[in-house]
Amino acid sequence: MNQVNSLSRKAFPYVLAFLFTIIVTFVLLPFRDGLQIATVVLVYLLPVGASAALWGLGPGIISALASFLLLNYFYLPPYGTLAVHDTQDILVLLMFLLLTVSVSQLVGSMTRSLAVAREQEHEISRLYELSLAFSKLHRESDILNALALQTSETFQADQTEVFIESTPQPKLTRFPEAASLNDTRVVPPTAVVPLQGNQRLLGEIRLWRVASPLNASEERLLQTFARQSVLALERAQLVTSENRARLLEESDRMKSALLASVSHELRTPLATITGALSSLLDEEIILDDDARTSLIETASEEADRLNRLVGNLLDMTRLEAGSMHIKLESHDIQDVIGSTLEELKLQLRERPVMLDLAAGLPQVKVDFVLIERVLVNIIDNALKYSPPDSAIEIQAGVGEQFMVVKVADHGIGIPPEDLQQVFEKFFRVKRPSSAGGTGLGLSICKGIIQAHHGLIAAENRPGGGTIISIALPLT
Amino acid sequence: MADSNIRVLIVDDERSIRRFLRTALGGQFLIFEAANGTDALAAAASDRPDVVILDLGLPDIDGIEVTRRLREWSQVPIIVVSVRDQEADKIAALDAGADDYLTKPFGVGELMARLRAALRRSSQTESEPIFTAGDLTVDLNLREVRSRGQEVSLTPTEYDLLKTLIKYAGKVLTHRQLLRTVWGEAYESDTHILQVNISNLRQKIESDPARPVHIVTEPGVGYRLKIG
Repeated sequence: MNQVNSLSRKAFPYVLAFLFTIIVTFVLLPFRDGLQIATVVLVYLLPVGASAALWGLGPGIISALASFLLLNYFYLPPYGTLAVHDTQDILVLLMFLLLTVSVSQLVGSMTRSLAVAREQEHEISRLYELSLAFSKLHRESDILNALALQTSETFQADQTEVFIESTPQPKLTRFPEAASLNDTRVVPPTAVVPLQGNQRLLGEIRLWRVASPLNASEERLLQTFARQSVLALERAQLVTSENRARLLEESDRMKSALLASVSHELRTPLATITGALSSLLDEEIILDDDARTSLIETASEEADRLNRLVGNLLDMTRLEAGSMHIKLESHDIQDVIGSTLEELKLQLRERPVMLDLAAGLPQVKVDFVLIERVLVNIIDNALKYSPPDSAIEIQAGVGEQFMVVKVADHGIGIPPEDLQQVFEKFFRVKRPSSAGGTGLGLSICKGIIQAHHGLIAAENRPGGGTIISIALPLT
Repeated sequence: MADSNIRVLIVDDERSIRRFLRTALGGQFLIFEAANGTDALAAAASDRPDVVILDLGLPDIDGIEVTRRLREWSQVPIIVVSVRDQEADKIAALDAGADDYLTKPFGVGELMARLRAALRRSSQTESEPIFTAGDLTVDLNLREVRSRGQEVSLTPTEYDLLKTLIKYAGKVLTHRQLLRTVWGEAYESDTHILQVNISNLRQKIESDPARPVHIVTEPGVGYRLKIG
């Protein structure tokens, strides 16, 4: 049935050309007596030219032949026969045939060229669209999606698949998403085109089109699509490598900064400890009891400071390596705050601490030890950057989604432009009195708070000083 | 106090730590040393210590394993020593039978407090029905609790919790141990209910519940009732 249909579809234009010629014949017939042969010949050019223009060379030739015969039969005496009496008429007929065939061919080839040109233009504009789509994309998955979509639209495909051999697993992108052909593995694809990369085969494009297979120019276009895609994919890979290289550079730079900073920070308290202890051991140095006690206390304080610093460094490495284990359990925030204050007992002994904890605070899911560390770091910071007898305020309250804890000091505050940056690694606000520290404390806090899906922010206190707020999600 | 009769076994692979401990404690106690797990188990049997200070980071046998093996035949008080951030190890050791823990670096004050608590008799109720610490007094016979001179009314659960803490006064109790003792095995992971009761208890017996001096939090591990 299909074959009959396609055959009749192909034959249709020929039939039309023939009919057209016949119609022209019978339109002119009534005027035969008044018309010169030249006129008739010229009129017949119409169906021939039109047939060639509209339906191509074949129908044009059919029309030419038909008009040749009809001209002879109806318009050259003797009418009603194919015989020719006038020798000039023979010439006319021959010239007519020659003319009409040439016209058909000319018009036919013109039409064909036009069609080819249009097709090429279509190809180019499709390619352009594809390139345009690719130019904005840097991620492999985006490129594959764009490719599948464009391929599907350009070729009117029922189903398109793009298969990529990527790491860690090969990727299969489909358009449309839901496979409309029951199982694409069962039905073989209409066309398959490899994505050939510089050094290896990247994958392939598979197309299913039930209506018709791809013609030669479509095959060509699909291959060009494949080449474009390979370029885009390889470019995406380069971008990824470049990013990675940049990250490594950045990471190296930070490591050097860290080493320099750490070296200094570790050695400073050690210097104090060594100095104090060696003074105590030195037989030449005369010390009274108060002096001895003072040196010992100093060494002890510096040892504490060193301990805290080492802790910070360990936290930092753990956060960086992503190996910080968060153990979330329901806790009383009052418990955490109390524990923090106990930990900083020594430093807080000369400082007024004001607690403002809302009544009936719900429990909050946190890792006790880590949040305690956050608070210790924040309060430690507050102590460093505020006068030795000024107060530290701690407030805890609850909103709709978060439990908010604020720590405020009455110190020198933070320049407004630095409020966001204080949480960056190694960031030290440029202040005249450097209170020591690697600048890690707050960035560790940020890391831990983020791991809790919470928020941390710094603002300046209206009366002077800094407020650091942490928000922990309730459930 | 005739402390010099008390025998302390120090187990740590670091020579400097052993030296420090011997120096700090040698004046008051009789000191024995072991540098690894195998020697520790042998020394526990031959030297019969009254208390063991056990480092968890031993080279041959895991400190927790040493605790377990020791507990198979001995009830000697064990204080485990570990570094920060090894809460899981501390809890495991306590669950395996250790009595208390110390975090390196620690000061001698903490060490002495733990030692004293570990050496105390654990059967409080028979020998001393009245527990006193600062402004807190608990009469276990009369079930009477007084804080800052005033009598305090506790729910039965709160009282049980306080009683358990008193029984092991000075020593740390893990969340799990407290939950199991007061609520039963089914509740052993329900930290929420423990938190609530501790919070309520603190509200009632602490003069500043936000900065408790009696029921102290051991971060990540459990709670401790302070003595003296």
